[in-house]
Amino acid sequence: MSSSPRKRLAPEAVVAGGVVVVLIALVLAVFFSGLGKSLYPPDAATTQAKDVRGLYDIVFALAIAVFLAVEGLIVWSILRYRRKPGDVELPAQTHGNNVVEIIWTLIPTVIVLYLFAISWNTLKTVDAISAQPDIRIQANASQFQWQFVYLDASGKKVATQTIPLAADGGGMAVPVGKTIHVSLESPDVIHAFYVPRFLFKRDVVPGQHNEFQFTVDPSEATDGHPAIFRGQCAELCGIGHRTMLFNVIGMTQTDYDAWLAKLIVTANATPAPAASGATVLQLAAKNIAFDKTTLDAAAGQPFAIDFKNEDTPGTMHNVEIRKADGTVVADPPTIDGGAETTYAYDSLPAGTYTFICKVHPIAQMTGTLTVK
Amino acid sequence: MATHALTPAAVASYRGGLYEWLTTTDHKKIGIMYVINSFLFFLVGGLFALGVRAELARPGLQIFSNEHVYNEFFSIHATVMIFLFIIPILAGLGNYAVPLMIGAPDMAFPRINALSFWMLPLGGLLLLAGFLTPGGAAAAGWTSYPPLSEVGPLKSPGPGQDLWLVSLALIGTSSILGGINFLVTIFKMRAPGMTLFRMPIMVWTVLVTSVLVVMATPVLTSALVMLFIDRNFGGHFFDPFAGGNAVLYQNVFWFYSHPAVYVMILPAMGVVSEVLPVFSRKPLFGYKAFIFATAGIGALGFSVWAHHMFTTGAVFLPFFSLMTFLIAVPTGVKMFNWVFTIFRGQLTFSTPFIFALGFLTMFLIGGINGAFSAAVPVDFALHDTYFVVAHLHYVLFGGSVFGVFAGIYYWFPKMTGRLLDEGLGKVHFILMFIGFNLTFFPMHMLGLSGMPRRIADYADNAGWNDWNLLATIGGFTIAFSILPFIWNVFVSRRAGKIAGDDPWEGNTLEWATSSPPPPYNFDRLPEIRSERPVFDARHGRLAVHAPELTDEMGPA
Repeated sequence: MSSSPRKRLAPEAVVAGGVVVVLIALVLAVFFSGLGKSLYPPDAATTQAKDVRGLYDIVFALAIAVFLAVEGLIVWSILRYRRKPGDVELPAQTHGNNVVEIIWTLIPTVIVLYLFAISWNTLKTVDAISAQPDIRIQANASQFQWQFVYLDASGKKVATQTIPLAADGGGMAVPVGKTIHVSLESPDVIHAFYVPRFLFKRDVVPGQHNEFQFTVDPSEATDGHPAIFRGQCAELCGIGHRTMLFNVIGMTQTDYDAWLAKLIVTANATPAPAASGATVLQLAAKNIAFDKTTLDAAAGQPFAIDFKNEDTPGTMHNVEIRKADGTVVADPPTIDGGAETTYAYDSLPAGTYTFICKVHPIAQMTGTLTVK
Repeated sequence: MATHALTPAAVASYRGGLYEWLTTTDHKKIGIMYVINSFLFFLVGGLFALGVRAELARPGLQIFSNEHVYNEFFSIHATVMIFLFIIPILAGLGNYAVPLMIGAPDMAFPRINALSFWMLPLGGLLLLAGFLTPGGAAAAGWTSYPPLSEVGPLKSPGPGQDLWLVSLALIGTSSILGGINFLVTIFKMRAPGMTLFRMPIMVWTVLVTSVLVVMATPVLTSALVMLFIDRNFGGHFFDPFAGGNAVLYQNVFWFYSHPAVYVMILPAMGVVSEVLPVFSRKPLFGYKAFIFATAGIGALGFSVWAHHMFTTGAVFLPFFSLMTFLIAVPTGVKMFNWVFTIFRGQLTFSTPFIFALGFLTMFLIGGINGAFSAAVPVDFALHDTYFVVAHLHYVLFGGSVFGVFAGIYYWFPKMTGRLLDEGLGKVHFILMFIGFNLTFFPMHMLGLSGMPRRIADYADNAGWNDWNLLATIGGFTIAFSILPFIWNVFVSRRAGKIAGDDPWEGNTLEWATSSPPPPYNFDRLPEIRSERPVFDARHGRLAVHAPELTDEMGPA
């Protein structure tokens, strides 16, 4: 038996206690200095996200408490109970204690049941679906692009936003303070709709109807100053997975109405015709492959490509022109499966270029354009 | 050539070195081969991880020409680490230790044991052979969800995915054979006196693990076969456009793969439960509670699979959330028992013990950050982000890998007769501990701020640059920490300190035989009257009749 462990405070106990206190202080300092902020999710932008954040805070507080208690006890024991040269006799051979076993079974049980109850409660509000949402959007995720189809109350298509990113003049605009209903469709593999500031994601599963609703906080946007939220596909969907970016844009109702009216006009506009007299090349895409691997054009003259997308609707293609070093020369808008268009290109100096579908940068959708 | 009578010595003579290793059915040699083979795959899997970390160090595509190669790298990294490193290396430690610990001469089916080992290198080579095929190796993630893993120009057109399926089916078969072998060995081969409740915890964890393997692995095999039929024989099990169901695969896959998480952690818990008492000079606190907790984890482990699928919209969320929360309870019980084992002990900080402490401190984090994803709405935010990558590595690296190294340092003297060098061991631990936390702690922040898994690149302005760079530095620190270990093994195997039968003052039967043990393990066995027969033999009546001494030493 160790000699008189209770009579006098052993020096190891002072050291161990000191170190544990320092460690706890360190953790607390991290939080009070603001460094702990990176251990929280980003600011919640929707009503639903605020509920999730409230739940996160409770889980996090309990996690820190349990972590400090158990890790503290481990560190204490490591420092306090080092075997000393004089320790020949065995320490107390404690085999266990049923009372403490029951206590440390029951207390965690109560904690996890509490966590279960509050998370179920939050789940009900996060997953709530109102029958009369203000706006209905069908988000189509396909390899490797998002499209947002705006629907009216009866589910009829109003307009399609084919440009997913705000930087390119696109994005999924929604009015703030309104209930937005999103249904998710995929024509190919599983994707996931993920907006970090919504603290939410939902898989886009082919052959399965997934939907959710959200309401962007009205304080996020004022007239003329929309809020842009970063979104990204979160389920591995193939080679272009990381390029499946999109934005949700929170706008005031006035801005949104103007935005939607403009989208309807743009979506119905016909593209500018190719300059007369320009060479017109033919190209088609089917089964995620171009029908040609080489094209020729004359140097110093504008040219055009009659492009047919013969894939199924939902599969977007375009014909991007890149220099040999990868710089993009021309990046015309994508067209949907079943559509055709004529892309007009400016004149190019002689040389060898690559034409490629920017949505599907794979070998089958890459070819060589020779300009001479 | 003149004939001559065979002497008994000629019959019993050993076969040549390499031939002996290639044909052995001795559980100790097979166990060591499991460990070596798995360690080699650990190095391979680690190289893939370094590729991934190097690519993510900065925004932009630097080292990979396109995302397909990146997808191959993380897919093969995870597949190798899970199926060819963690599961088999723990099976290998079990293979080595279990017959010794229960006083058995060998496994129940020595030839089946050899067969289950030799399937592993074959399966591993098949998997890696994917890189030689047109289209490269499997690139649909280690989960290989259809429709992405089906045939299609943008899906998984090449034979790499088929090789992945065949390889996993082989490795799975190896696991099932090994599991049955363990079960029969544990139930039928125990020495006289070794009742179930005197078995070392390591044996109990291998027992529960084997039940999980035998029950769950066939289900995975069915998913693999269905996907193979889809890909090669015009099946439509998982094709939603021909009446199939894509989420069906996820259900079948996780019905195996969640219990597989316990297959990957329980034996490591077993190792830690052997190491902590020995180096604390105390018995494991709450031996029976620990066994019930292990069995509880095994049972609950079958009812939580769909917590990997909360965001699919095809899961009854409250049930799986409740079960996932509940499985934290037996895990917590184990944690408390470990802490109270070292509490008021006499601790000797030898390398096995330090790695076991590493397990304790890191697995605690891996348990706690798992609770976040059990809360379904929080999981909606965290699922498929780097937070989950952080969580799973705190469990499988901070937990299992530290446990594996505790086991290797602990049993190396038994396997070879020589001790590993303590100084190099400590360098290994410190580098690995620092590298591990540098790599995986920042992933919590990355995940919370919205970085999804499995992306080859990220925007410069996303705010992820610093954490990613830190994680990459940590990753290379881990790689570097392996070098002193390898050096240690090579040097100590020939020139290490002679271990003797029982270098650690162990508790369990493997320390009652020579190091290395003779063929068939024991010339004689000590009496088995508790779960610590060797301790009892060393300390005589003291241990067996410990209650007599309780007046000044009872629990608080």
